[in-house]
Amino acid sequence: MSKQFKINPKLDFVIERFIDAPTRLVWAALTKPEHLKEWYMPKAYGRVARAEMDVRPGGILSIDIAGADGQEVPNLGCILEVIPMERLVWTSMLFPGYRPAVFDDIPITAIMTMKSEGAGTRYVFTGLHRDEADFEKNKALGWQEGTEIAVDQFVAHVKSMK
Amino acid sequence: MAQAAVADDVFYALSNATRRKVLEQLSVGPATVSELAAPFDMALPSFVQHLSVLEQSRLVKSKKRGRVRTYEIAPKRFKVAEDWLTARRHLWEARLDRFDQYVKQLKDQESDS
Repeated sequence: MSKQFKINPKLDFVIERFIDAPTRLVWAALTKPEHLKEWYMPKAYGRVARAEMDVRPGGILSIDIAGADGQEVPNLGCILEVIPMERLVWTSMLFPGYRPAVFDDIPITAIMTMKSEGAGTRYVFTGLHRDEADFEKNKALGWQEGTEIAVDQFVAHVKSMK
Repeated sequence: MAQAAVADDVFYALSNATRRKVLEQLSVGPATVSELAAPFDMALPSFVQHLSVLEQSRLVKSKKRGRVRTYEIAPKRFKVAEDWLTARRHLWEARLDRFDQYVKQLKDQESDS
């Protein structure tokens, strides 16, 4: 069921961290809007203005981020797979409820996995892109850098929940 | 979809200044993504996310011809917002009418005694 699919380094952005906290806290920080607000947006860039997550396959993922200038940008997607405390997958390629979305955008599919390791958790974030051009565009727009900062904030937030 | 969920989507879509400006522009007539994005100082993928929210709320619809996507207003969903606001207005009007009646009644009682 939770079999991993093959990663293509040319298209996929992978970031792995060991978090010194139990898996249940990592899962909570990833799936509860009040926690998402604390780490999803790099603090130097802005904040999360609004977050909604219906954690079931087909459920909504909606995170509005606001930049320093107050300009709000939505992130809207559909949750695909939920294995509590193990694996969460969502995509911006679909609207909530699996409705086919308009995708002139740079869509991504995000796979987040976690596994107990001693008293802590091994956490892996993978962002899949359609093609190399999309991945390059996302890098140029600061998506990769922002994601790295967000993962660091995520790790710090989970530790603070202990 | 339940009516309340539809209203949620519609009011959420209307809750952002960028999206309202897009709707204002589309009320003049259909437009392409690049035409709609032109007045905004925003990265295109971010702007397209706003169009996605509008499309998801079904306040707009889009068609793709070749490489060009054109957006237009879908007036039916505007009625969801209009109906909700109208119902609230009726409620407040009725409440004000009753208040008015009641104050008049107080006045009459005062002049009776």
